[in-house]
Amino acid sequence: MRRLLPLASLLFLLTLLLAWWMNSRAPKPVELIPTLTGQPEYCLTCHADLPEISASHPVKTFGCVSCHGGERLALDADLAHSTMRGGANPSDLSVVEASCGGGNCHSGSEADDRHHIQRVLTSVQSTYAGAIASIRFTFGAQTDLTARFGISAVTDEHSQTGITSLAAFDPTSESNPSIQKFSGNCLTCHINAAPREGDVYARQTGCAACHTPLRLPQNSQNLGGVSRRDEGGGVHILTTAIPYTQCNACHNRGNYDLRTMTFIERSDYPTIRLSDHPTTRLQDYYQPISQFTLCEYTLDCVDCHTRSEVMGDGDLYSSQAEIQYVQCKTCHGTLTELPLTKTLTDPNDIAFRMAFLNPVLELKLGDTIIVTEKGEPLWNIRLLPSPSGEGTGVRAVYEMIGKATSQYFTFRPVMGTACEQKPDEQESQYCHACHAVER
Amino acid sequence: MTDLSRRDFLKLARDGFLYLSGALALGGLFRFLDYESNPAPQTEFDLGPAEKYPPGSRTSIPEIPALLIHSEQGFSALSLVCTHLGCSVESDAGGFACPCHGSRFDAEGEVTHGPADKSLRSLRVVITAESHLLLLA
Repeated sequence: MRRLLPLASLLFLLTLLLAWWMNSRAPKPVELIPTLTGQPEYCLTCHADLPEISASHPVKTFGCVSCHGGERLALDADLAHSTMRGGANPSDLSVVEASCGGGNCHSGSEADDRHHIQRVLTSVQSTYAGAIASIRFTFGAQTDLTARFGISAVTDEHSQTGITSLAAFDPTSESNPSIQKFSGNCLTCHINAAPREGDVYARQTGCAACHTPLRLPQNSQNLGGVSRRDEGGGVHILTTAIPYTQCNACHNRGNYDLRTMTFIERSDYPTIRLSDHPTTRLQDYYQPISQFTLCEYTLDCVDCHTRSEVMGDGDLYSSQAEIQYVQCKTCHGTLTELPLTKTLTDPNDIAFRMAFLNPVLELKLGDTIIVTEKGEPLWNIRLLPSPSGEGTGVRAVYEMIGKATSQYFTFRPVMGTACEQKPDEQESQYCHACHAVER
Repeated sequence: MTDLSRRDFLKLARDGFLYLSGALALGGLFRFLDYESNPAPQTEFDLGPAEKYPPGSRTSIPEIPALLIHSEQGFSALSLVCTHLGCSVESDAGGFACPCHGSRFDAEGEVTHGPADKSLRSLRVVITAESHLLLLA
């Protein structure tokens, strides 16, 4: 025993030395006590270089853990990350309620139009109900195109569309091989699907699929429109200034091959680049077989398409066509009608909230903006003051500021022009007949 | 100088290890017992002499953050933490605005525009025996 004592002593000293060495190598803990939680967290010890994710989510207020989860006191990376929600994407719909929900956040009241998560969960972006119904109808598994299944089960107790619930689509219960192939090949494309393998798909589900663009909007103050991936960094941004490239990452990525029931990605799909000259946009991003008007490829998708079209309005629908309603006439009117407008008189109007989140223009009480037939504000389009109106002989002029580019446009309505449109032909295909661009 | 025998050298080395180990173990113990956890967040702020804040003044104290008001009724203070989610509100024409989600409050801290649904919190201000203002957050 007496002889073992020096050995034990030596081992003890070596252990102390090792502990001191490891301690000296560890980063100095950086504590943050977010105002929202009042609980210390040490994430900034390693992540202090991350930019603020958005003006609405300052780290000083939210910290990291309230959105991302994780072990807030851990200094070991593996331990700290072990309980993170959704990996790199806490907005994945499987965890979104815990990450982004709550009555004060994105599961707010319907009356205030703050029930974002509930709307998204019932939207066709999430349910994929239209495609599932269409394929099942095509191969005889159902007798009409009414949606019965979604990627996950979902209910809508206050349905305005007659669809009160969708059952979870179960491919194993389908006997038709084409439907099974569809299940195997085509269910990864929607924002409620399990993300595909690979870094590029890491944030293509949940809220991040749209609000965390791989390419930053041109009017971003952060990196001047340069993708942070190009800089070798991750993407830490939430924005409502969503550039068209983000929409096209899904909506122009390829074609369905119904013969083999697969999705064929375009071989010429442009990669994310440091420079993206607008003149190449039409060739790069839009499929050759389709036609587009100048505004369809000059503007960003979010300049015209509304929140309820994209994020859903809380009701379940059987197809994308049922919820997408903005047409050329929404902004341009018809030969007999000017576009619908609304003068802002209520400081609580939702138009102000939207302009606050993406301040490309300073909206004021008294401004007249265009609204859709459902009353949604196109808050970035204002009627310019002029002596226009019936009997003046002066046509109205509207100004539009690009939500993702801050580009300034003006346009006039169809009324008073020599346009040959027919009143009942207002879909874009009819406008393309004369206004499609050559390429 | 006498030659150190091999036995004495080993004994000396052994004793040295033992004493060193003991000393380091005691040092570790003291360090453990002496460990101070992070102090609790500060709740009392000495704002200095009361005469620094003349009647009619409204002084922002960003480190709290709060607004010290010296009115005819005396000293009072408003927390400048938004009651919606806790961002720091900023002075705006006629009141305060939250830069995070757009809530607005009037000059007395009452909500004029959501999403916040509660007024800015009033904070207590006491005058100490030394005529210093003590703000209790």
